[in-house]
Amino acid sequence: MQDAKKPTVTGGRTVMSDFDSSAAVFKSRAKKLATLMATGEERAKLWRPDELAAMFRHQMSAPMLVDLGTFDPRTATRLRTLSEAQGLLLKSFADLFHHPAPPIELLELIKDFAKANLDHPESGLPDEIATTLYYTSIAAALIRLDAHISQLPDADLQCGLRWTMEQAWLDDKTKELLAKALEKISGGQKGTVP
Amino acid sequence: MASEPSKSSIFPRTDWAELGKAADTDVVRLDRLIRLYWQPLKIFLMATFPSLKNQADTLLQDFAEDKLIKEGWLRRADQSRGRFRDFLKTSLRNFVLDHLNRVEVKNPPISLEDLEQDPPQPDNLSEEFDLAWARTVLAETLRRMEADCKNPAEDQPRRSYIWEMFRIRLLEPVFNDAAQPSYDQLIEQFGLKSPTDASNTLLSAKRIFKAHLSKVIKEYAGQDAATATEIQALEDFLVRLSKRG
Repeated sequence: MQDAKKPTVTGGRTVMSDFDSSAAVFKSRAKKLATLMATGEERAKLWRPDELAAMFRHQMSAPMLVDLGTFDPRTATRLRTLSEAQGLLLKSFADLFHHPAPPIELLELIKDFAKANLDHPESGLPDEIATTLYYTSIAAALIRLDAHISQLPDADLQCGLRWTMEQAWLDDKTKELLAKALEKISGGQKGTVP
Repeated sequence: MASEPSKSSIFPRTDWAELGKAADTDVVRLDRLIRLYWQPLKIFLMATFPSLKNQADTLLQDFAEDKLIKEGWLRRADQSRGRFRDFLKTSLRNFVLDHLNRVEVKNPPISLEDLEQDPPQPDNLSEEFDLAWARTVLAETLRRMEADCKNPAEDQPRRSYIWEMFRIRLLEPVFNDAAQPSYDQLIEQFGLKSPTDASNTLLSAKRIFKAHLSKVIKEYAGQDAATATEIQALEDFLVRLSKRG
């Protein structure tokens, strides 16, 4: 079988490469064919655990409108209005979480976005990323606005915040936000940043 | 006789009504059926009877004429007796064995030592055929998926990116033992806007693959339930075979 050419990126545009799929299939043993057949299964994970750090970095730097703009048109319009009012139109999830006065509606939208991904069986977003967005939005509301945007009991909230803080791929600034939130709902007991 | 797949299906749908009428109908329709099944049957014949490799096309031709056209063989294809592909290979094996018996009558008997091989065992026969069949299904699936994704009439360049991501993320690592590109490489190469964007692209690829796999199999298995059963059967077979090394 001919070797596949390596793809090249020219000016940001991907140059497609050749791959003789027929030759690849006919020279392969059963194990590789079985792996290919399993590809269509929805339950197969898309991403490896070691990719979570890169994915979270990407998520935090992604413009909010990219993900949150997939809500219904009315919500998308509201999102744009709020973002523009706060000069956050082109800003990222990280900028929102660490803004001194983030719009509470935006934090609620992110919480809902995260929950929707966790609840949807066909969501491709790793649960770890969705869970982190969920608890970080709650933490930001609690610390920046002294507002509760979740109806979770404190014990469950503590558990979730603690789990999120323990993720090795989380950046320090987000861990600190979560630690402060944990401290606040724990009645002054300090949340320790791992 | 040409050994090319039909335009819309490499395996004809197992239409029992059609098969039942096939022996009474014109040769053109039978020709389509025969050509569609030609390649896997040839692989099966050559794997089962290696010493007859040079006669494979001729034997298949004889099989087609004697069994499929002249003897009303298709009328005996009965769904209740199992999958149509199993019926095909059993009939071909029996035909070739009968041919060998007729040849033996004309020539002095050949000892097993002279044959330099053991007679084929039933399990191996079945596996060679099923493996060839599975390969043909998967190759056709990927061929259609690539053509679909690169179709200029579809949403481009996104649709082509779907194929490319599928290729470098899944196909190359599986078939060429290539390292999976890192997440950062993917977002740079495809301009992915967020992890959701990346995930949706890969999910789309898997769904397109699955849709084409189902379509290829449905073209010979027939109904949706039979298609699902056949997909599972092929997967179970490949897993079982791979565990044996």
